[in-house]
Amino acid sequence: MSEREAIIRVQHLTKRYGGSRGVEDLTFDVGPGEAFGFLGPNGAGKTTTIRLLLDFIRPTSGTARLFGMDPRREGVQVHRRVGYLPGELALYERMTGEAYLRAFADLRGGVGVARINELAERLDLDPSRKIHDLSHGNKQKIGLVQAFMHEPELLILDEPTQGLDPLVQQTFYGMVQDEQRERGAAIFLSSHVMPEVERVCDRVAIIREGRLATVADIGELKAKVLRRIEFHFSEPVLGSSFEHLPGVKDVSVHGDTVLLSVEGTVDGVIKEAARHQVVSLETREPSLEEAFLAFYRTGADR
Amino acid sequence: MSALLRKTVRDQQRGVLAWAIGFAGVAAMYSAFYPSVLRSAGALQRYLANLPEAFRNLIGTDFTTPAGYLRTETFSILGPVLFLVFAIGAGSRAIAGEEETRTLDLLLSTPVRRRDVLFDKWVAMAAAAMCLTAVLGLTIVVVGPVFKLRIAIADVASACLMLYLLGMAFGTVALALGCFTGRRGLANGVTGAAATITYVVNALAPSVKVLSHLRPLSPFRWYLEPDPLVVGITAANVAVLTGITIVAYVAAWVSFGRRDLRA
Repeated sequence: MSEREAIIRVQHLTKRYGGSRGVEDLTFDVGPGEAFGFLGPNGAGKTTTIRLLLDFIRPTSGTARLFGMDPRREGVQVHRRVGYLPGELALYERMTGEAYLRAFADLRGGVGVARINELAERLDLDPSRKIHDLSHGNKQKIGLVQAFMHEPELLILDEPTQGLDPLVQQTFYGMVQDEQRERGAAIFLSSHVMPEVERVCDRVAIIREGRLATVADIGELKAKVLRRIEFHFSEPVLGSSFEHLPGVKDVSVHGDTVLLSVEGTVDGVIKEAARHQVVSLETREPSLEEAFLAFYRTGADR
Repeated sequence: MSALLRKTVRDQQRGVLAWAIGFAGVAAMYSAFYPSVLRSAGALQRYLANLPEAFRNLIGTDFTTPAGYLRTETFSILGPVLFLVFAIGAGSRAIAGEEETRTLDLLLSTPVRRRDVLFDKWVAMAAAAMCLTAVLGLTIVVVGPVFKLRIAIADVASACLMLYLLGMAFGTVALALGCFTGRRGLANGVTGAAATITYVVNALAPSVKVLSHLRPLSPFRWYLEPDPLVVGITAANVAVLTGITIVAYVAAWVSFGRRDLRA
C-alpha cells in the first residue's frame, strides 16, 4: 500500500507515560474502504492509539498519518474527513439531542437535516429530549449520529457498542456495513470482544500491553480459533469417532457426554454428532484470550 | 462569527443572564441606600475615624459624594468580588472545565484548531464580562438619579472599564492555568487565592510597611488608584491590567497548543 493510498498509516508509533503504560512501536496500515478491527483487553492501549490518531495526545516517537496528512499540522483537514465516537462519551448534558446535533453539524460546516433524521430514525433515537434525561444507550446513539452524519471517509469508533442493547447493536453493525460498502468509508473499530470484530471487520490487529501482537485477516484468525463444544447424547457414545475428525482436539467422554475442542469449522463435528441422538449441546464464543493464544500456538507450530 | 463561537455564546446565555440580574440588583440596591447613608453621614464619618487605618484604606472614607459612595460601596468590595467570581469561574471552565467533563474530546474532533477553540472561548468570556459591567454601569446611571446619586456617565464608564479590565486579567489567568493543567478546580482555586491575596496586599499596603513595596505587584493597585470615578482613565493602569491579560493569553495559547489532553 503506498503512502498516498493508505487511509491510516502508523509507523513505529510510541507513546510513553511516566509510570503508566502507553503504546510501543505500533506499525500498521488501514486501506481505503477497509474495516479494520483493533482488538485488545481493556487497558491495552486502544484508546491511547486513537487519541494519537486524532492529535489529542502527541507521540513520544514514530508517526501517524491519516489520508497522508499529519494529524497535528493538518488537523483541520484530517478531522473534516473523520467521524469519531469516543470510548467514554461525554455530551453537553443540558442540551437536547437535536440542539447538540445541530451544533455539531454547524461545527462541521453544515450537514443536511435529512441525513441526521435518517440516522436518528434508523437508531430509533428521539432527539427532542434533554441529553441529561437519556439512558446511556440513547446517549451512545447521539454519539453515533454525530460520528456518521457528515459522511466521513474514515470512521474511528472506540468501543462503539457498549451500552447498546442487542437489537440496536445489530442496527449499528448494519449501519457500519452500509457506510463501508455503499460509501466506501474506511472503518477503524476498537473492541475487546472478538465476535463484534468478526462481524464487522475484514482485518484485525490484536494489541496487548501496548504492543501489537498480530495483524491478520479475520478469516485467518477465525480458522485458528479453538471452540469448546459439549454434547449430551441420549446414550453413551464412543469418543474415538470424533477424534479423527479434522481440527478436533482434546476429546473426553463421560458416559453420555462428549467434550471436545475444534479448530476452525465445526461442520465435521456436527455431522458426526448428528448420527446419534443429541439431547443438547453447549458451546461458547471463544474469548479474545483464547483466540489470541490459538493464533500463537498455531503460529509457533509452523 | 464562527460556529464554535455561536455555540459557546448560546451555552453561556442563561448563566450570563442570571449574573446580569444579580449585578443590576446590586447596583440598584446600593443606589437606593444612598439617601439614608447621606442622612447619617456625620455619624458614619465619626465611626470611621475610630476604625484602624488599614480598614479605612480598604473601604475608603468618603461617603458623602456620589463618587466616594460608589467607590466605597460598589467598586471596592462587592463589585470586584462578584465580578471576579464570575470571571475566574468562566476562565477556568472555558477549557479545563470541558476537558474534565471530557466534552472537549468531541469538540476537538471537529475541524477546529485548538487555538481557535481557545480564542473563541476567550472572546465569549470577554463578551459576557462586557455585558455584566455594562449592566452594572447602566443601572447606576439610570437608577442612581432616582435616589439623588448623580454622577457623570463618563466617570461611571471609566470605573466600569477598569473593573472590566481587572476581571479580564484574572479571568484570563484562570483560563491560562486551566490550559496549562487541564484542571478546572485548580485553575479556579489558585486564581481565586491569588486574587484574595493581592487584594489584601493592596488594601494593607498603605499602612503596613512590609507590604508597601509589594503593592505594585497587586493588580488591584492598578484598578482604583487614582480613582477613575474622579480622574477618569489612567493610561498606565489600563496598560498594566491589559498587559496581564495579554501575557496570560499568550501563556494559554502556547501551553494548550502543545500539551497532551488529559485522558
